[in-house]
Parts: sequence; C-alpha cells; structure tokens
Amino acid sequence: METNIRFTHQALVEKCKTGHRSSQYELYTLYVDAMYNIGMRMLGNKEDAEDVVQESFVDAFKNLTSFKYESTFGAWLKRIVINKSINYLKAKRIPVVPMDSHEFHLTNEEMEETEAVDIKKVKTGIAQLPQGYRQIINLYLVEGYDHIEIGEVLGISTSTSKSQYHRAKKKLVEIIKAL
Amino acid sequence: MDNFEKHIRAHQNEFDDHKADKEKLWARIESELAPPKVVPLWKSRGFRIAASTLLLVGLGIIIGFFALNATTEQTQLVDQELLDIDMHYKSLVSHQVKLVQNHPNLSKEDKTEFLGFIDELDQEYELLRLEMNKNLDNEIVLEAIVKNYKKRIELIENLLNQINKSKTINEDYGYTL
Repeated sequence: METNIRFTHQALVEKCKTGHRSSQYELYTLYVDAMYNIGMRMLGNKEDAEDVVQESFVDAFKNLTSFKYESTFGAWLKRIVINKSINYLKAKRIPVVPMDSHEFHLTNEEMEETEAVDIKKVKTGIAQLPQGYRQIINLYLVEGYDHIEIGEVLGISTSTSKSQYHRAKKKLVEIIKAL
Repeated sequence: MDNFEKHIRAHQNEFDDHKADKEKLWARIESELAPPKVVPLWKSRGFRIAASTLLLVGLGIIIGFFALNATTEQTQLVDQELLDIDMHYKSLVSHQVKLVQNHPNLSKEDKTEFLGFIDELDQEYELLRLEMNKNLDNEIVLEAIVKNYKKRIELIENLLNQINKSKTINEDYGYTL
C-alpha cells in the first residue's frame, strides 16, 4: 500500500522528467495551492511565499531526474519548499529557532497534557507566536514532520528540536488561553 | 502526543486557507524553465525514415533515368541495326521480284501466281513489323521477320533456279536437236 502511495502521479512525473511542458503544468496545478500554503505558514506573507513556491517548482522540474520515488512527489516537493523557506528566513536574518534555546531545558521541563482547542484559535495563536517559535510549531503540528526531520531542516539536533518544540507549544497554549 | 496535537494534526487541511495565483505564478515558473525539449528534426525517427525513403526513391529515379537512357540508346542501336537488315532484305527482295517480273521466259499467269505468294508474305511481313514496333525486344518476332525475308528470297531464288533449269534443259534439248 505504502509503495503505491509513493508512486502517486508516476506517469505524470515521468512525463515531466522529459521536459513535457503541459505535464509540468498539470503537476504544478495539483500541488501549487498546498505548496503556497506551506510558504504562507513558514514566511507569513504573500510575496515571499510566491517567491519560494516559484523557486521550488523551478528547482523541482530542473532536478526531477533525481526524484526516485523514495517518498511521494508531494513530500519531495514539500521538503524543497520548506528548505527554501528556512533558507529565505535565514537570509533575512529571521530566527528559525528561539534565540534563548538551551538544550538542558529538555530534561527539566514537564510535558503538559493539553486538550483540543478550536482550530481557528490555533491559527490565530500561531500567527501571534514570536519569531523562532512559529516554524517549529508549524513543522511539527501542521506539516507533520517528526523531530528527526525537523532537526535536518533546521540544522539542529533531534533533542534540541524536541525541547524547542515543547517551549514553542507552551507559548502557543498560553496565547490561545489568552484569546 | 496529547489531544491538542492530535486534534491539530487531524485538521491539517483547515490550515490551507490560501489560494495561489496559479496563472501568474506559472508564468514566472515557465519563464525560468528551459524551453520545452525540441528534438531536432534531423534527429527524429520519423524524419530519418522519411529521409531514407526519399533518398531511396531519389536514387531509384536517378538509376531508373540512366537505365532508361541506356535502354533508349540500346533501343536506338537495335532499331538502326534492324533498319539496316530490313533495307538489305527489302532491296534484295525488290531486286529479285523485278527479276521475276522482267523474266522473259515466264508466262503472265505464272508471274501473277508467284507474285501472289510474295504479296501474302509481304502482308505477313507488315504484320510482323507492326508487332515489332510494339515490342522491339521480342526475339520471336524478329526471327519471324528474318524468316519471312528468307522465305521470299528463297521462293524467288527457287523460281529463278527452276526457270534457269528449264531454260538450260530447253537449250540442251535444242542443242541435241
């Protein structure tokens, strides 16, 4: 079953590998909204999100021969968008992790159990998070990445990713409660 | 993973509330992509097949043209040769027919009867000639034409021989008398 999912849109992807323009457009239309939303969540504004999505699709089509169905095409493309978004933030000197991050917090911090809250409130809360908290929350909660993947994307260790996430989550819950 | 996290992950789709300006973005993407791969015409398989076919047809036409020219030249040579043969036999036959017509020792009836045979052979000759024009390479027709000439000449020769023989006999007889 998992194998089948990885080969989603295989025929279309293979056509795109040959440089077939209408197939490229077809594949683009299937993923552009999802990728644009990732860009919007990561970068927070339309212009930057569009730039990142544009660059990501161009890179994806140019390097499509390196895509070997080790994941779905969507997951591969999403990783490109996220990596580019992080690089974009770094280039603008916007922190992608909290400035006061210290790994030793991990063992001392208690993992609070939080109940489900209204999604609208969550979105508002994420938007109000300070720079450096938003990305890790988005990557873990919304994009569904695990801490190993987040570590790779943000260039931090898995344990740092865990501690940073929990701090960011604590902050988010505080904001939501205050809404 | 607590209920808060599970609830958010279960409602991931609700976070996708933006719509991209698809056409505008695509125009930007397309401008950065290399032009669609265009296989040069001379590299395409179809073109190669077409070119090969054209080359073969062209060669065929050229070879055919030269072959036709060669055949025409050959035909002209054969035609000339036949014409020469025809002239030769015609003049020979004509000369011998005149000999028969002017022969003093032949009666008018004998001449008419004999020349009737010759006329029949002439008609046969005309038919053969027409046949020959239709198909110059037909050796059978060619042989028939030659035979026709030979037959006429042979007939005339035989007749003349017979006349001469009877003349000799008559002379001998006259001499013995």
